Amino acid sequence: MLRIIHCITSRIVRWARRKSPWVLHFNSGGCNGCDIEIVDTLTPRYDVERLGILKEASPRHADVLLCTGPVTRQSRDRLRRIYEQMPAPRWVVAIGSCSCSGGVFRDGYNVLGGIDQVLPVDVYVPGCPCRPEAIIEGLVLLLEMVE
Amino acid sequence: MNVELILESLRETFSTEPLEPQAVPIDETFVTLPPDCIHAAVQVLVERFDLRHLSAITGEDTGGEIVLLYHFWDGHGLTLRTSLPREDARITTLTDMIPGAVFYEREASEMLGVAFDGHPNPHTLLLPDDWAGEPPLRRQEERQ
Amino acid sequence: MNRITIPIGPQHPALKEPISFLLTVEGERIVESALRIGYVHRGLERIFQNRSYVQNVHVVERICGICSHAHTTAYCQGVEALLGLQIPPRALCLRTLLCELERIHSHLLWLGVLAEHVGFTTIFMYAWRDREIVLDIMEALSGGRVAHAVNVIGGVRIDVDQEQVCLTLARLDELERRIETLLGVIRHERTLQARTRAVGHLSIEQVRSHCVVGPVARASGMDVDLRRDAPYAAYDRLDFRVITAEEGDVWARTMVRVLETVESVGMCRQLLAELPDGPLAAPASRRVPPGQVVSRCEAPRGELVYYIRSDGGDRPARVKVRTPTLMTLATLSDQLRGVNTADVPTVLSGVDLCIACADR
Repeated sequence: MLRIIHCITSRIVRWARRKSPWVLHFNSGGCNGCDIEIVDTLTPRYDVERLGILKEASPRHADVLLCTGPVTRQSRDRLRRIYEQMPAPRWVVAIGSCSCSGGVFRDGYNVLGGIDQVLPVDVYVPGCPCRPEAIIEGLVLLLEMVE
Repeated sequence: MNVELILESLRETFSTEPLEPQAVPIDETFVTLPPDCIHAAVQVLVERFDLRHLSAITGEDTGGEIVLLYHFWDGHGLTLRTSLPREDARITTLTDMIPGAVFYEREASEMLGVAFDGHPNPHTLLLPDDWAGEPPLRRQEERQ
Repeated sequence: MNRITIPIGPQHPALKEPISFLLTVEGERIVESALRIGYVHRGLERIFQNRSYVQNVHVVERICGICSHAHTTAYCQGVEALLGLQIPPRALCLRTLLCELERIHSHLLWLGVLAEHVGFTTIFMYAWRDREIVLDIMEALSGGRVAHAVNVIGGVRIDVDQEQVCLTLARLDELERRIETLLGVIRHERTLQARTRAVGHLSIEQVRSHCVVGPVARASGMDVDLRRDAPYAAYDRLDFRVITAEEGDVWARTMVRVLETVESVGMCRQLLAELPDGPLAAPASRRVPPGQVVSRCEAPRGELVYYIRSDGGDRPARVKVRTPTLMTLATLSDQLRGVNTADVPTVLSGVDLCIACADR
């Protein structure tokens, strides 16, 4: 009996996670190109809210961390702290070539590289900058992984 | 801005300095002065010509010396050029006359290791809190 | 009353980019503020020295994603001056067209961000929806919505044919109608005015002493615009007004930017109507003769200055970039003094910060 209840509630929780991934956006050193394309996905033409995606204000309310930009030395600890504040299960999506690998800035003296130097990345969305369509595809890929 | 009038005024004030005015693209005049004359020169610009718009302070480590360029603009560009020794690069701050120089001087200070005497807030601006290396824009041996 | 220090950032819903503030408040009013930037410092001035002039065009475009074309314009202009090139008039006009389209996109983006921060999400959605028209035009012309890669050393990479000109003019008409609607809403919406009037005030004296540039300076009464006062590219062919205001608050900055957008639409029409024929670029050698140049351009946020020095090779000896936001950041402590904590996002949005530009 308990097992049946647990099974049903797990399914409901998994369904809810897939249908309402709340995202937190953090720019750890990028040029803003990808950031404005992320905010663009919230606007009427792309409207990711139809996928249940809401942009959250606090890491404690978010399921997915959307990172843009390479990791700079000053941002590294803050990025890690934000990730630690997110409740599990949590996922990280690296948006843009800079957050995948450091991009054009990879040999900068203050740049540590892509987001995977600091956090475990689940989905990489390359592009310089990424188009909103690519960002949505990355998020959908993440949702399929969540299943 | 009448560049000729300004040059004349600077020649009067610094009669022993050659100034070496040079026309530089795009619509800029470069004037060279020793570091201890820069504060007085900017005073001339501010008080006699009301030229207060300091666009930027560029610093460069040319290998032999640290060159500082103070770029002013008011219709045309006027740049004051000065050279500082690499070992003890110091110059008087301009923030008493041009408060807008505060961020420019902080950046030049951390990037090139120049000390701006009298700066109200000489802390790092852009470099991270845990930066332990040399000032990044100083020439390093491994770069070709 | 006790003073409390509140840290804000680098991750905060009111901030689009990483920047950190320490606000000291007494009750609801801010008494002092301190600022920490450098989270986006990528050390670009050193990176430029390790790349060739041609590679640097790609890097310079990525200093900031919002004003990318302004950066490449100032950089390419500087290198072209060092090379002593005569840029063909068609290239200059196309370069200017993208500059103005970028100004429209930047100001509409800003309007949406300001509206979101004062709680007027409708205008955020409308402004960004209307901004899609500009992004579509830029994509049709160059292939990129945000990073256009239009400028090359010597001219431009793109061309427009008559059909594209007609389509673009039609879309500009549609854009102008939408901007007029936004302007009507802004002028009549009392809550927006109540949130932005007398907030974040800067006097003309403060603007002059801090060397502030751009719409923030023009909103405080400074009548300076490099497009008119030191024309570059094709601006000497264009007829346009420089918009200024006197109040010096966030409301004045809103009006200056939205009216500048209207002027920019007119300038785009003038450019498209009179595009001269001719080549798109002058041949440019990879090695730049020794020399130095100071190149200026009026980015959406104000005067953008590039100093480039060449030693005669194919890599620059020094590239210095001074972006317009840097000076406005220095005035934030003055603007925030005496402001309510609820108005902090309004003040921060009002100056149109671009931290990626300021930090480089």
